[in-house]
Amino acid sequence: MWTGTRAIAEAVKLADVDVIAAYPIRPYTGVMNALATMIAKGEFSAEYLVCDSEHSQFEVVKHASAVGARTFVGSSGTGLVYGAEAAVVIALGQLPVVGIVGCRALDDPGNFGMEWNDALLFRDVGWIMSWAKDPQEALEMTLVAYRIAEDERVLLPNFVAVDGATITHVASPVTPSTKSQVEEFLPPYRPAHPLDPAHEAVSKAMHISPSLIGPEQRKALDAAMKRAKAKVIPEAWKSWVDVTGKETPAFVETKHAEDADYVMLTMGAYSKNVDYVVGKMRDRGVKIGSMRLRYFRPFPTEEVREALDGVKGVGIVDFSFSLGSPQNGSILYNEVKAALYDADERPQVMGFIFAGGREMKIADLSKAAELLVDSTRKGRVDHPVRWMMVRGEDA
Amino acid sequence: MINTAHASQIALTLSQAGVSAGREAAYYMRYDDSPERVQLPFITYAVLGKPDIKTILPEEVDPVGGVFDALVVLDSSMLIKSTSQRSLLLDGAKRNAALVVNTSLGPEVVLKLVKRYACAQDWEGKIVTVRAKRYNQNIALGAIGALAKAIEPEVTLDNIIETLYALGNDEEKVDAVRRAYDDSDPVSVALRAEDCEPYKLKSSLAEKKSRAPKALKPWDRERYVEIKNRAAEAPTYELRYESMPRWEEIAPGLVEFGPKVGERNIGFKTSFARTFRPVIDEKKCVDCKVCHVFCPDGAIDYDPIRIDYDYCKGCGICARVCGPRAISMPHELKVLEDLDEEEFLTIREALIEYAY
Repeated sequence: MWTGTRAIAEAVKLADVDVIAAYPIRPYTGVMNALATMIAKGEFSAEYLVCDSEHSQFEVVKHASAVGARTFVGSSGTGLVYGAEAAVVIALGQLPVVGIVGCRALDDPGNFGMEWNDALLFRDVGWIMSWAKDPQEALEMTLVAYRIAEDERVLLPNFVAVDGATITHVASPVTPSTKSQVEEFLPPYRPAHPLDPAHEAVSKAMHISPSLIGPEQRKALDAAMKRAKAKVIPEAWKSWVDVTGKETPAFVETKHAEDADYVMLTMGAYSKNVDYVVGKMRDRGVKIGSMRLRYFRPFPTEEVREALDGVKGVGIVDFSFSLGSPQNGSILYNEVKAALYDADERPQVMGFIFAGGREMKIADLSKAAELLVDSTRKGRVDHPVRWMMVRGEDA
Repeated sequence: MINTAHASQIALTLSQAGVSAGREAAYYMRYDDSPERVQLPFITYAVLGKPDIKTILPEEVDPVGGVFDALVVLDSSMLIKSTSQRSLLLDGAKRNAALVVNTSLGPEVVLKLVKRYACAQDWEGKIVTVRAKRYNQNIALGAIGALAKAIEPEVTLDNIIETLYALGNDEEKVDAVRRAYDDSDPVSVALRAEDCEPYKLKSSLAEKKSRAPKALKPWDRERYVEIKNRAAEAPTYELRYESMPRWEEIAPGLVEFGPKVGERNIGFKTSFARTFRPVIDEKKCVDCKVCHVFCPDGAIDYDPIRIDYDYCKGCGICARVCGPRAISMPHELKVLEDLDEEEFLTIREALIEYAY
C-alpha cells in the first residue's frame, strides 16, 4: 500500500536516476522524503540536492541533464511557478528532465486544494504532460516518461501530474515493476552532445539574431512534439504491454462510451468519481459514458475526435480556470472544443469548473451530468460553462 | 563607438526637421541581437514619411535595393568594412542615394573605395565629403550641414535650422551647420554592379551555394564549424541567412561547439569597427610580452608576438604600454590603402565634448 509520492519515488529508484534536485512544497514533498529515506538506507545512490528554492531546483536539473545525467525534479502550486524560468528553458532547450507536479491550487490563496493550473502553465513551451489516475499509474507514467523524454526523436521534458491529496497522500495497492522489467524497457540516457568539454560541446542556444535561427529552433521543437505523439508515446506504451502484460491505452481511456450519446470527460484521479456517476446513470438507462485523457500534451486530438464520434453532448469536468478565455471557460474545456472544431459533427460541449481547491462532491458531479443530458436533449446549451461548487449565483 | 552621440544627434535633428517640414518621422538605433546595447559599428536610422511612414514591400523595391536615400559615414574607416550583420555599406541604397562622408579624402577616392569594398549594386547617386571638425568640435554639426545639401529639397536647410534652434543649439552651432552646407559640393557618381569587387564575390558565392549538396548532414563539430565559417564569410546578410542550417539539421537545444585550445573563436571575427590598428616595428620590439599581457581581448599571440587582426579592436592599449614604443597606431586606410586620412576624432577630443 503506497501513496502516489511513495510510488513515484520507487519509479525514480527503478530508473536509476543520477541527480535529484529537491525543494519542499506540499503535496509533492512526499517524494522528497521517500527518496531521501531510500538513499539513506542505501537502496540506491544518486546525487540528492536540497536546493535553496524551486528556482535553483529547476536550474540544477537543467544543467545536470545538459551534461548527461538522468534527473528528477518536482514541485507544486506556487513553488512550480517560482521554478518557471528554468522550467521553460528546459523545454525550449530540449532537455529530457522528468518531473512531477503535485497539483495544488495557485496562490492566492494557495490552499492545499487540488487544481490543475500550476502544471498547465507550462502547456505551450514543450513539456510533455501526462495525468495519472492513481499511485499505480503514477509509478508507471514516471518510468515511461524517461523512455519517452530521452528518445532521440523527442528529447523533451516530461511532467507527470498527480492530483494533490487524492494521489499524493492516499495510499492504495501498488504493484511495482521489477528491476529486470525496467532494464528491458528503459535504456540508459546517452545524449548525443552532452555539454562536457571532453565531448567538445560547450553551450546551447546560439544567441544570435532571431531572424537568423529563431523560427528554425521553434520548428524543431514542434517536430519533436509531433514525433512524440505519432510514434514515441504509442511505441512506449505498446512496449510496456510487452513488458508487464498489461494492456494500456496510450492517450485516452473510455468507459461505456461505444454507444454513448453523452460523455463526461476529465483527467486524473477524479475520473474514478466520474466513472461512478456514469455507472449509476447507465444503470438507470441513460446512454452516458466517461472519458479520461492520459496525456494533455501532446493533446490527443485524433483520439478525442474518434471517441466522441457520434456523441451528442460532452461535459468537461475541469479542475482549472482560465479567466477571460473564450466563453469565460477553463483550460481543458477550451482545448477540447478546439480539438472538436474540425469534426464532421460537433457535439454540444459544456464546461464544469471545479477550480478553487474545494473537494468535489458526488452530488455536484451528478448535477453536472444531468445538466449535460438535459441540455443536449434540448438541442441547445444555455450557459455552456458552469462553476459547480460556488456558494452564490453562477452568473 | 565615440560617434554614438553624434549619430543620434544627426538622426534626431533630421527627424525633427522632417516634422517641421510637414512629414511623419521616426528614428531608432539598431535593435538586432541586442537592443540598447551599443553594437559596433553604431548605426542610427531616421525615417521620414509623407504623410505616413510607409513600409516598403518587397514588390515595390527597385531591384537595386530601394531602402535608404542617404547614408552618413562619420568614420571613414567604415568605407572598407562590412557591418556586423555582414552587410555591405551600400546594401539597400536606392539607385540615386547620397553618400555623405566625414573625410579629408576627395570624392574620387571615396568612390574608388566604395567600388572596391562597399557596393554590389548599380548606383547613380552622389558623394558629399565634409571635414566636419573644421566647422565645430561637435562633428555632428558639420555632417548635418553636408547632409542638408545632399538631400534637399526633401528637407530644406531652413527646416534644419529651425529645428536646430528648437533643439537648443546656439548661434555658433547653427552657423557651423550653415557654413558646412555652403561649402558642400555634391558630386554625381555612377557605378555598375558588375564593376564592383563585392558584386563579383557575391556572384561567385551565390554560384557555390547553388552547387551545395542537398542532403542533410548530421550536426557535429565539423558541420557546426562549416556553418559558422560560411556565415562569417558571407558578405551580405542575405548570404549569411542562406548559409544557416535548416531546422531539420539543428541538434536539439542548438548545441554549440567550442574552439580548440589555441583557437580564438569559430567563424566569428570581431574587428569590424576598428579605426586604427596597432603595427609592431620589429626593429624596436624587445619581446618583453607586455603587450600580450595587457591586450584586453587576448588578440596578441604570445610566442612569437603577433597581433591577430581578426580580433584586434584597435583600442590602442598595447601601443600605450609598449616600453620601447615599438607599436604605432596608423589609420586603417593608411595600412590597407596607403591613404592619409586626416579627419578623425581622437578619444581625447570625444571626451572633451562628452565627458560628464
